[in-house]
Amino acid sequence: MQLYDPTSSGPERHLTRAAALGKLDGAKIAIVENAKLNAPEMLHAIADLFVERHGCTVLPHWTKQNASAPAPADTLKAAAAKADFLITGLGD
Amino acid sequence: MPLDAARIHEAPDDLLAAIDYCYEQGWTDGLPVVPPAVDRVEAMLAFEGRPPETVIATHPATGLELSVHAAAVNAVMAGCLPEYFPVIVAAFEAMNEPPFNFHGSTASTGGSAPLLIVSGQCADDIGMNADVNLFGPGNRANATIGRATRLILRNVFQMIPGISDKSTQGNPGKYSFCIAERARGNPWPLLCQEQDYPDGVSSVTCFAGGGFFNIENHGGNTPEHVLGSVADTMANYGCITLGQSVVILSPEHMRILSDAGWSRTDAQEFLFSHGKRSVDGMRSVGKYRDSEYEKQHGPDAHGLVEDGFIHRGLGPEDILITMGGGDAGGHSCFIPSWSRARSSLMQHKPIGVCIDCD
Repeated sequence: MQLYDPTSSGPERHLTRAAALGKLDGAKIAIVENAKLNAPEMLHAIADLFVERHGCTVLPHWTKQNASAPAPADTLKAAAAKADFLITGLGD
Repeated sequence: MPLDAARIHEAPDDLLAAIDYCYEQGWTDGLPVVPPAVDRVEAMLAFEGRPPETVIATHPATGLELSVHAAAVNAVMAGCLPEYFPVIVAAFEAMNEPPFNFHGSTASTGGSAPLLIVSGQCADDIGMNADVNLFGPGNRANATIGRATRLILRNVFQMIPGISDKSTQGNPGKYSFCIAERARGNPWPLLCQEQDYPDGVSSVTCFAGGGFFNIENHGGNTPEHVLGSVADTMANYGCITLGQSVVILSPEHMRILSDAGWSRTDAQEFLFSHGKRSVDGMRSVGKYRDSEYEKQHGPDAHGLVEDGFIHRGLGPEDILITMGGGDAGGHSCFIPSWSRARSSLMQHKPIGVCIDCD
């Protein structure tokens, strides 16, 4: 019996990681806060550790309007243009 | 996906062995599937006018695409008849609209299931159930259209439980959650009419449903009695949010409203006005948030919003109400949106026709 495969038919995507930073000292940090409860507090607490240990600067944070949707491309582009690295994650 | 690129598996000719083969491939929802034999898939495709490689939905986070062909394969596996296929295609076109938030609603811990409500002549044409045991088993079209939806989410979009589908508890609708709107005896315009489709055009409405609440009221004999119990259910502390709502009124409850001359708008406004909790009450269970209050009470607040209270939704139009179920019994139901705010908004599409398409 010949059966059709029911699984994904989309084009394969090739994802790559950004190059690692050479150093953290004095780096600018972007925070993309996902609008979840406690997310800003958690993310800023993490950023504060980088400020304390590496003299980083925290930029004003970006907020996703929809916690459960991918971050808009414009948001990520804007953050990437100003920051050396970005912190994001879940709250709740 | 072009047909010549579709992957073919050589499975055992014995039907039971072929069913086991599907299990071994990880293609099922836990129940046996109909092996997607080539001839059955082609019969399904005959009910869609566009080429099989046409993409009808794309997962925004992974980029995975649903082609007409892949939808047909999964529809066969779910047990659908070919004439059901246009409903499945329309449902995924609706879920593909960005406000539905296809990613979040299929991946979240909230455990939503896409509720499909078929409205119009199509429901009768393909033999759907809008009557007794509306949400229960027994009707092939209801059961298998809903099941095909889940199989597509699993097989095409790879929303695999425990991996990409992180539902904390899920809900039974994740097997199948598809109903027809009851037209017989319905005093209100059908949903497809309210949605402004041309005469004779049916629709499917998709809603990221967070569960199912039965609303029993056999003693109430006024609209305020019946809808008071509905509003109380909608505002329970376990699920009150700014999200949308679906309310399916039983014919017995609907008759009480229609005898009193209540329109759909009257009922929506009553439910929005009464489906609320005080700020203090919300604080008492740890669910009050300033940002939600401000969103509901800001400059664009609906006129029925009351100071000091959190209502369910942002306005009466956030509550879809229609009729379904058997003639006997004071049992209606409420289904909350999975979304706690505006992360997923219900969407609808016409079935089997193209309106204002490119």
